[in-house]
Amino acid sequence: MLRPLPMKHVRLLVMTDDLPQASLTLAETESFHPDERPPEIQALAGAPGRDYRERYRQAATRLDKIAKLVGVAPTPPMRQVHVVHPDELAAVGSLLRERWEEAARFEEAFRRLDEEERFIRDQEVALENFANLKIDLGKLYRQTRFLDFHVGMVPRENVGRLEGAVQLAGYMLFNYLARGDSAHVVIVGPRGEGEAPLGSVLTSAGFQSLPIPSDIADRDPVAKREELQARRAELAGQRDTLRTEFKQWERAHRETLLDARRTLLLAEPFVTLDPSIHSSGSLAMLAGWVPLRALPSLAERLEQSLSMPFDLSFRDPRPDERPLVPTVPVTNRWLTPFAMLVKQYGIPQYGEVDPTPIFAFTFLLMFGSMFGDVGQGAVIAAAGWYFRDKLGRFWLFGVMAGLSSMLFGFLYGSIFGYEELLPALWTSPIHHPILMLKIALGYGVVFIVVACLLAIYNRFAVKDPASAVFGHHGVVNLVFYLSLIWGSLRLTGTGSFGTLPLVLMLTSLGALAVYAWRHLEAPAGEKVLVVFIETLETVIGYVSNTLSFLRIAAFSLNHAALSLAVLTLANMMGTTGHILAVVFGNLFVLVLEGGIVIIQVMRLQYYEGFSRYFSGTGHEFAPLKLRRGAAGAG
Amino acid sequence: MSNSDQAYLQTRVTAMSVRLLDAPALAALAQLDLQALAERLQLEPILDEQLSPRVKARAVEQTLLQRLLADLVVLTRPMAAAERGLLLAWARKYALFNLKTLIRGKLHALDQAHIRENLYELPARVRLPHQELYRAENVAELLRVLERGPLRVIARQARESYEQHRDAFVLEAAVDQRYYAELARQGNQLRGAEAPAIQYLIGSVLDRINVLWLLRFRFAFGFSPSEAFYQLVPSKRLLHRDRLLSLANIDGFDEVLAAMPAPLSSALAGSPSIIEVQRRVGVMLIDECRRTLKRGRSGVARALAYLILREHDLHRLYALIQGRLLGLPQEVIDIAVELAEPHCPSGIAVAA
Repeated sequence: MLRPLPMKHVRLLVMTDDLPQASLTLAETESFHPDERPPEIQALAGAPGRDYRERYRQAATRLDKIAKLVGVAPTPPMRQVHVVHPDELAAVGSLLRERWEEAARFEEAFRRLDEEERFIRDQEVALENFANLKIDLGKLYRQTRFLDFHVGMVPRENVGRLEGAVQLAGYMLFNYLARGDSAHVVIVGPRGEGEAPLGSVLTSAGFQSLPIPSDIADRDPVAKREELQARRAELAGQRDTLRTEFKQWERAHRETLLDARRTLLLAEPFVTLDPSIHSSGSLAMLAGWVPLRALPSLAERLEQSLSMPFDLSFRDPRPDERPLVPTVPVTNRWLTPFAMLVKQYGIPQYGEVDPTPIFAFTFLLMFGSMFGDVGQGAVIAAAGWYFRDKLGRFWLFGVMAGLSSMLFGFLYGSIFGYEELLPALWTSPIHHPILMLKIALGYGVVFIVVACLLAIYNRFAVKDPASAVFGHHGVVNLVFYLSLIWGSLRLTGTGSFGTLPLVLMLTSLGALAVYAWRHLEAPAGEKVLVVFIETLETVIGYVSNTLSFLRIAAFSLNHAALSLAVLTLANMMGTTGHILAVVFGNLFVLVLEGGIVIIQVMRLQYYEGFSRYFSGTGHEFAPLKLRRGAAGAG
Repeated sequence: MSNSDQAYLQTRVTAMSVRLLDAPALAALAQLDLQALAERLQLEPILDEQLSPRVKARAVEQTLLQRLLADLVVLTRPMAAAERGLLLAWARKYALFNLKTLIRGKLHALDQAHIRENLYELPARVRLPHQELYRAENVAELLRVLERGPLRVIARQARESYEQHRDAFVLEAAVDQRYYAELARQGNQLRGAEAPAIQYLIGSVLDRINVLWLLRFRFAFGFSPSEAFYQLVPSKRLLHRDRLLSLANIDGFDEVLAAMPAPLSSALAGSPSIIEVQRRVGVMLIDECRRTLKRGRSGVARALAYLILREHDLHRLYALIQGRLLGLPQEVIDIAVELAEPHCPSGIAVAA
């Protein structure tokens, strides 16, 4: 469980005509992680999938645009898996272009209706404005012998420039209303030479003429308003008709669009693989990473599906390739939520120990010991179960944390802070604080030693022996730490640190200093300073890191003390007050202290654990897949 | 900006300014053959025998642009948001070049791969935010997509114009106008001790473009005064709104030059054509940038001046390499890289 799945580097040589089939087969096996590095063989310079990819992208873009208007399921259930040849892909692209043009016409028609409605609203606003005037604007608006008169709207940001431009044509501009991004303006000037250039400027400025009713001064504004409302109702009718037509169009083409989606999903693996495919003439090469256990079935599937000859070869990853090898993530259901937390820090490099099982065990151990209470643990577990739909895969985390809290609650004899209702299977932390501190310290020593051992193993695993011996948290560091602990235990027991622990400690520190000195490129003075500080930092670091684990005991005591405070307050009240104080007090403890404990545990995991042994620089195994869609998704 | 950021920026600009080419350095480069140029400028694609001259030129242009944008990224790092916004607005011209390429490509129904080949690769902070633009299949769809973004006003105007005339000119003119208007707006928004120096330099940029546009629209395209004025972007330096109004209303080319305010009037006096005017206002702007870079106190103004000069240098280098790739005579190349006064070279005259 701790070791990564062994991976092989795979090279597949196929005929270029067989590439779509090979891609589909690889996708169906879900075990091929593409290697996108350029080929080592210069002759394989061709990129045979480029045209296919272009056709795919064009068709997929069209379908995506249509899907924004009518909604096409992203992964409809697959009816029959078949190879999509370039001609079929081109045909789907042409079909989608026609459908997109039809859909775009509907979209355009809706947009024109929107614009007309907006224009009616602007007319209504203009009506409000002009209705209060005492002059017959209708007369002015009609063509007169001497005056050229324009009433309309223009984007606000164009008003300033338009004002200057109309001035040059002998006109004047009055901006009488600003509404949204538009300004309502009146432009007036003498008839004659200026008219022609003004028209061009008005076009450039995005001027929209506002037809002011010619009989505005004579007719009742209410009647005019009703006329506009009637027009608005007419537009609403047109919109309904258009919607109905659009629905009919959608029904008529739904299956076609779903089929197009299926075709594109089947073509997707070849497109995804494109950067990993290199060719020379009619021979193409695919490279990738495959888990060792999946190799036989992969070879068998290729044998069954490819009609032309092919060659599948594999080898172990070379040492220089190790950072490129993908790591297969944890698939155990119970560990999944913990794997998500580990992923926040990083992905294990290929060869490194996967820390998820250790993380899960130590997380639950620390959380339970710091937050041990049967009642509160039950609430956490119940909440995790109740909200399982909303929490997704994370609900198990809540349930397990709650159960761990309950387990320690039984050991401590604590239920909702009451310590006299339940007999403690072990002991109550608040009555034995020194014991708790000793246990926490011991746990810290074990945790750090295990972390160092994992760090040493990981470095040997990635073929870095020098770092495993002399690097941070390597063998020499571990010898130093163990001798420090040994000497300290002797000191507390016998009053003497002991010669052997002291010699071991000084020797390991000396070895670290020599190693650091040799690897530094700096003037001697600077070297002395850096080596001294690094050595000091090693000593202080291990001591402070060990003491850091005292927080486990501190929080278990804190938890008991907080509960005691809640119960003391409750006991000072009447029955109702007592119940309310216990309920709200426990809620307070659950939310505030529960949150703090989680943060503290994460801190210990990430800082004291992961930073020692886990590089997190790997990348996840992401095999080529065929997106089939769940039944009923269409 | 804090004092430390200001000091850092000033130091950075000064350190970078040693990359700028003076006349002797450019003259030395202009004597090199392609092989030597490629080695000196680290432009390996030139030497790839497999590539056509057009592809090579394109690769060189991209590489040179990436160098300019890399400088931009370094210089904007210590700047406050407003100053950084101004420099990014200046660099956004390349995003607008892409937009114009897209419009022209869609207008002439070129395929997407062909259009993509002609687009500049730009960093996220400079490029247009709409990936949808690239996916549009025709001009009308492209304009519809544009209408949903920050260019919605000009896109709507342009779409209406396009539907009537099927001509991208209005849109392209509006895109250019909006670019300079945005630059002016960002400059005018600046406050503090540095603002006047930056606004002065932006004023120079706007004056240059206004002179060119005014002359081009009035006398090359035959626009009316009001039509020409509408396309201009008033500057806060020489060619402010009232002056542009009066200049736009003048009917003769020489009369407009004579009516220009000093020092434009003396610099442009006797220019026989718009091309010559373009050369002279270009020289004026470059001189202004050199002065700012040498004596300016504002780090941001010096950074902008440096970028304008660097861009100018890279244009000249590109002209030099393209001339070599196309096998043009040395005389023509010297004119293109501004080492010689423009005239009709003897080789061309003979060939003609």
